[in-house]
Amino acid sequence: MIAIDHIHKAFGATQVLKGVSLEVAAGEVVCLIGPSGSGKSTVLRCINGLESYDSGAITIHGQTVDVRRSDIHALRTRVGMVFQRFNLFPHRTVLENVMEGPIFVKGEPRAEARQHAQSLLEKVGLAEKQAAYPTQLSGGQQQRVAIARALAMRPEAILFDEPTSALDPELVGDVLTVMRGLAAEGMTMVVVTHEMSFAKEVADRVCFLYGGQIVEEGPASRVLSEPQNARTQDFLRRVLDH
Amino acid sequence: MAYADIAAFFPILLKGAVVTVQITLGALLLSTFLGLLLALMKRSPFAPISALASTFINVIRGLPIIVQLFYIYFVIPELGIDLSAFQASIIGLGIAYSAYQAENFRAGIEAIDSGQIEAAKSIGMKSALIMRRVVLPQAVRIALPPYGNTAVMILKDSSLASTITVAEMTRAGQLIAASTFQNTTVYTMVALMYLALSLPLIFGVNRLERFFSKSRQGANQ
Ligand SMILES: Nc1ncnc2c1ncn2[C@@H]1O[C@H](COP(=O)(O)OP(=O)(O)O)[C@@H](O)[C@H]1O
Ligand SMILES: [Mg+2]
Repeated sequence: MIAIDHIHKAFGATQVLKGVSLEVAAGEVVCLIGPSGSGKSTVLRCINGLESYDSGAITIHGQTVDVRRSDIHALRTRVGMVFQRFNLFPHRTVLENVMEGPIFVKGEPRAEARQHAQSLLEKVGLAEKQAAYPTQLSGGQQQRVAIARALAMRPEAILFDEPTSALDPELVGDVLTVMRGLAAEGMTMVVVTHEMSFAKEVADRVCFLYGGQIVEEGPASRVLSEPQNARTQDFLRRVLDH
Repeated sequence: MAYADIAAFFPILLKGAVVTVQITLGALLLSTFLGLLLALMKRSPFAPISALASTFINVIRGLPIIVQLFYIYFVIPELGIDLSAFQASIIGLGIAYSAYQAENFRAGIEAIDSGQIEAAKSIGMKSALIMRRVVLPQAVRIALPPYGNTAVMILKDSSLASTITVAEMTRAGQLIAASTFQNTTVYTMVALMYLALSLPLIFGVNRLERFFSKSRQGANQ
């Protein structure tokens, strides 16, 4: 459903993406791994048009992703995004954060939006926190609210950009549990992560990004256990060492 | 200072105080509206619009307020637009302070973390909706203390309206002093009445500042 075809992207003089291609089928979970600065976030941000790309093409179910086109807003409602730093709206309660999109973007009736939001909060294990403000929650709880906020739009796919990297180690598990649940339900997911055990267990496919190119990709078990590329081997050795 | 004098002057000064408050509120309202417009224009991705706002703000900030008042009161009528001195003072002060209000609002808007704006985009919100639902509600809180300070400044500078014959509090005092020669009594009364208006505002601003700095600390715990 997501098709990335040979995209290039430069920030000023720096080429950040040098011909990245990636197909994600409906229901598939793809993990993007790679060293910092290799372009993982940029790939995700291009998929939902938070960033433009210079050449190549990205389509969602055949519809082109183009920041300058007015259908970009509607497209974004179909592809959710979860950020490393949660990015909840601090002036709104947990419930309001989740209802914001359905009510103000989709025009859902408030009662319906509330009911859906409550069921999503229950799903991420935060039903009792619906009246709290984001600052009253731990990082792990905030990230689960952010996932509920993305789910509230009933997206066809969700992009995760290092969703557990800003969390204290003891809070990572709850977030990964929610993500595992989504994968099991058949949600299409593209996940940038350094959690190799999560990737191994949940990902259908792993792509290793290096210097703006996917230098190795394949089934999670193969890429993570028997990497062929020297860069991948080197990267995995360093990640798994610490 | 005779009590009889005080009793005689007070009603006249009070009438002036009412005009002072009217000018202050009118100019505050106008400056809020124009300031918000300028702040939004300045953020426009369309270069001519943001340049226009910047130029306007710089020109206004570079002119003495009293010159702006004279300009509006004496020059605009020559273009065939009739303005009373009272209206001219509100428009003059409102425009003069719109530049400072724009700065207050801009600071408030820019204090909002760009991550929140991206999150809003990622659920399909368009920029006007993001402004209304995400940025402005938070920017207003951040801009409130400087907004209060601006209100105090407008209150004090409303005395400049006396120079274009508006019978606000300062001018009322001048008129009484000129006819009675009771300078000490009159100007002491005028000063105290300004303080009666401004000090509550100043205390309110201080409380707001303390409140917000506390709640922000709480947010980081
Ligand atoms: N907005 C930007 N402006 C300039 N350079 C950027 C911007 N965003 C990312 N970059 C650069 O692009 C490269 C890839 O960044 P990113 O996609 O964030 O990498 P990753 O997520 O893999 O760490 C980095 O060198 C980064 O400095
Ligand atoms: Mg990144």
